[in-house]
Amino acid sequence: MPQTEKAPTDNSSRARILERIRAGLRTVIPEPPAMASEPVILKPVFFERIIFEPISNPLERFQQECVSNLMECALTADSAASARQLSEVLQSLPAGEIFVQDDPSLRRLIEMTTEITTELAAPRRAIRWSSQGAPAEASQATVTLAEALIAQTGSILVTASCGGRGASVVAPCHIVYATTGQLVPDLTTALSRVSQERILDRNSFACVISGSSRTADIEKILVQGAHGPRRLVVILESGG
Amino acid sequence: MSRKVSLFVPCFVDQLLPEAAVDTVKVLRRIGYSVEYPEEQTCCGQPAFNTGYWDEARPCAERFVRVFKHADLIVCPSGSCTTMVRAFYPELLAASSWRADAIALASRTFELSEFLVKVAAVTQVGATFPHSVTYHASCHALRELHIHDEPLQLLRQVDGLKLIEMVRSEECCGFGGTFAAKFPEISSAMGNSKAESVAATGAEFVTATDPSCLMHLEGILGKRHAPTRTIYLASILAQQSPPPSSAQVKP
Amino acid sequence: MSTAAQRFLQDAAVKSADLMHREIIRRGMDSYDAAHLKGRARIRDWEAARQKCQEIKREAINHLDRYLLQFEEKVIARGGHVFWAADSEEACAYVKNLATQLGVRTVVKSKSMVTEEIHLSPVLEKAGIKVWETDLGEFIVQLREEPPYHIVTPAMHLNRGQIAKLFREKLDSGITSDDPADLMAVARRKLREAFFAAEMGISGANFLVADAGVIAISTNEGNGRLCTSVPRIHVVVTGIEKVIPRLEDLAVLWPVLATSGTGQGITTYGTLIGGPRRPGEADGPDEFHVVLVDNGRSQLLADAEQREVLHCIRCGACLNICPVFRHVGGHTYGTTYPGPIGSVLTPHLNGIAEFKHLSYASSLCGACTSVCPVKIDLHHHLLQNRRNATAAGATKSSERMMFRAWRSAMLHPWMYALGGWSVRKALRILYRLGLAGSIVDPMRVWNRYRSPVPLPSESFRARWRKDRAAN
Repeated sequence: MPQTEKAPTDNSSRARILERIRAGLRTVIPEPPAMASEPVILKPVFFERIIFEPISNPLERFQQECVSNLMECALTADSAASARQLSEVLQSLPAGEIFVQDDPSLRRLIEMTTEITTELAAPRRAIRWSSQGAPAEASQATVTLAEALIAQTGSILVTASCGGRGASVVAPCHIVYATTGQLVPDLTTALSRVSQERILDRNSFACVISGSSRTADIEKILVQGAHGPRRLVVILESGG
Repeated sequence: MSRKVSLFVPCFVDQLLPEAAVDTVKVLRRIGYSVEYPEEQTCCGQPAFNTGYWDEARPCAERFVRVFKHADLIVCPSGSCTTMVRAFYPELLAASSWRADAIALASRTFELSEFLVKVAAVTQVGATFPHSVTYHASCHALRELHIHDEPLQLLRQVDGLKLIEMVRSEECCGFGGTFAAKFPEISSAMGNSKAESVAATGAEFVTATDPSCLMHLEGILGKRHAPTRTIYLASILAQQSPPPSSAQVKP
Repeated sequence: MSTAAQRFLQDAAVKSADLMHREIIRRGMDSYDAAHLKGRARIRDWEAARQKCQEIKREAINHLDRYLLQFEEKVIARGGHVFWAADSEEACAYVKNLATQLGVRTVVKSKSMVTEEIHLSPVLEKAGIKVWETDLGEFIVQLREEPPYHIVTPAMHLNRGQIAKLFREKLDSGITSDDPADLMAVARRKLREAFFAAEMGISGANFLVADAGVIAISTNEGNGRLCTSVPRIHVVVTGIEKVIPRLEDLAVLWPVLATSGTGQGITTYGTLIGGPRRPGEADGPDEFHVVLVDNGRSQLLADAEQREVLHCIRCGACLNICPVFRHVGGHTYGTTYPGPIGSVLTPHLNGIAEFKHLSYASSLCGACTSVCPVKIDLHHHLLQNRRNATAAGATKSSERMMFRAWRSAMLHPWMYALGGWSVRKALRILYRLGLAGSIVDPMRVWNRYRSPVPLPSESFRARWRKDRAAN
């Protein structure tokens, strides 16, 4: 195991680069610049200019953004309705194993979903829980919780605690079980929370996901479903 | 403030497109300004400056400042040359003894359309031009002098003129001064793209604040045997009834 | 003229005349323009957003050492490694040594312009390591063995027919469809094998967040996600200038990057990674390495005029709007970074003598500056590069002499007037003799592509004096 034994300062260029940076920063930059082509904005600015339109109805905004992000958002009233919704989604998928974040609320939800499956006499699915390790390459779907939902961009915030990194990207369908109480209005609020709650000290990974994977690399034509999931489904239960 | 202006005639207008300056004088006089023309002027220095030869451009700039030092208001039939004085003289002459004069001069130098609309506060100059016209937004005027609407305001007041909007009107025509000589293929390709946008409007004429753009476009349109002709903004504004037929109008 | 300049002139001439190429680019750019406008409409005050982004990057660059050290400390505390590479060679050597020592046979790469800049893939391949580009556009140009055409959309110069043919030849002869969705499915199937077999994933980073000690990657396809989740080693290759002070800065940088880059409100995945997997996490790499590449960037800090060039967030907006780019395309530049930012930056990274021609290959229209989301004064930097080139004596002495003569004429009105009159007279005679465009015509470059300029018999000055004398 070579690299892990070396001390961080055993990198001879490090000191040289830092010295060059410090030397470069000693150059004074004239303010304002000599050839500004933009009209110089008078400083200081006493008020913060509003960059994004304030969001009055986060739920409504979240749902609108889900539509433009090509995400599915199903509003449910309670856990029974959520279970029915999950069952419906799973029925629409090809047979195969699913990967589920190992969390008590998801254990309960899966249990309820399994009951519905049994009632319908539909084939049972194999389930791999996140406590068993990474999702299998051939998983048909993953089911996870989220850390938060962001109305401004129609995003879900997941972390490594939500079943790991692969849980939101390996399978063609990613299902998120969330509650309306998890909605925050905008990116600023979400990122502030991540900072304040030191989420990145407890998680090696976090991701703001705003839709299904996509590409426009061929003729700038949008193709939904690239290397990541083709479907992102949010089961959004009232409450929480 | 006295209604007197000094005329700053770009060197290439002086030599190749004198009508642009003649028509500029006509318009200024018609709205009640007397026009003085300092005959010792030559060039603002832009060709050398743009090619990176600032040491060669500097004495020309200093001379320019000296020639126009006592002018109250300077009007120029060109956005790019006005830009040279307003946007670049303070930088070019930063270490020169003429620095303060240059800065003062810059604040008194105007391109024609911005002078008419913002300084003289007129948009109606009594012009008649019963033809369809499309407008190309010359880059320096647009992005360095922030001239967006003034030429359009003037054109809208011209009797009989039908203004047709061009797609990509803000895309560069491809002249760029020495760029046209150093990279002629790219320059003419850009010119041809602009010519296509012009052709799509079906307008009889294309106009702009910059005779240099128009000179380049006229060459491109001519090579394509396109029906549209270029005409400098002041030349439209100088037209009065009875209007000549388009065949008689000199671009 | 340097060979790079000669090659540029030749390629530019060919590409400028290629109408099919222009049409493909025009369609791509029209699509971008429409999307970009929609994206802009989602931001209430676009100018305020630009201003904020400029301030964030200015703060980051003006305190670069502090923020880099803060970032490094946090990454190391979480079990990651940070390597500072002075240049391409050092960066490539580190990655190569790491890979060979850890028995890596296959690498999956997500998009990183810095890895192009340092030419990492050839180094790894020479060491017997198979490198898979997994971003669809990069995958396509890798199969074609050509460099990326554009920093955001590497294969925008190709149409679906060409890509289908390429896949048929290189991947699966049974491909019949040229539908983009079907082609993506082919690439997905092929690359999935690589994702799950590779021992090492290499990514870039759009931002290095100092206070959180994480890298931030903005992607759409999910390949970057897989590269950084499945293989047991994750290596990040990034320029030192990518640093930003706070996590909350992403609240404006993410939407602005997406709007400028593709017209989206935000990219599908905004990934934050701070180290290898922690105990208790279901998956993730065992090792996390960040390679901080200098390669000329620290030099740029000392440049009072051009330090702000380091603010670039590599969104590609300046390429998209540049009329020169639209007419010659990305490959013509012959540099890692094309377009306006490439023309400004390359002389600093690779030398002014060899690459000054790029600063001249511009009409200085200023469109780039008007769209730059971090408000870099791009076109003025091109002008400054021209001045720097002449000051360094890197331009032709004949050109300098010509401008010296020009200066003399302009300082003496009689010389200017006489010179102008003589040239007009000479050209009139020449053209009357039918010699326009011939070898003796000084305006032949003009006349090859345009009808001749007017040649009036009198200058304005002469007419004015005549009128004055008459009154």
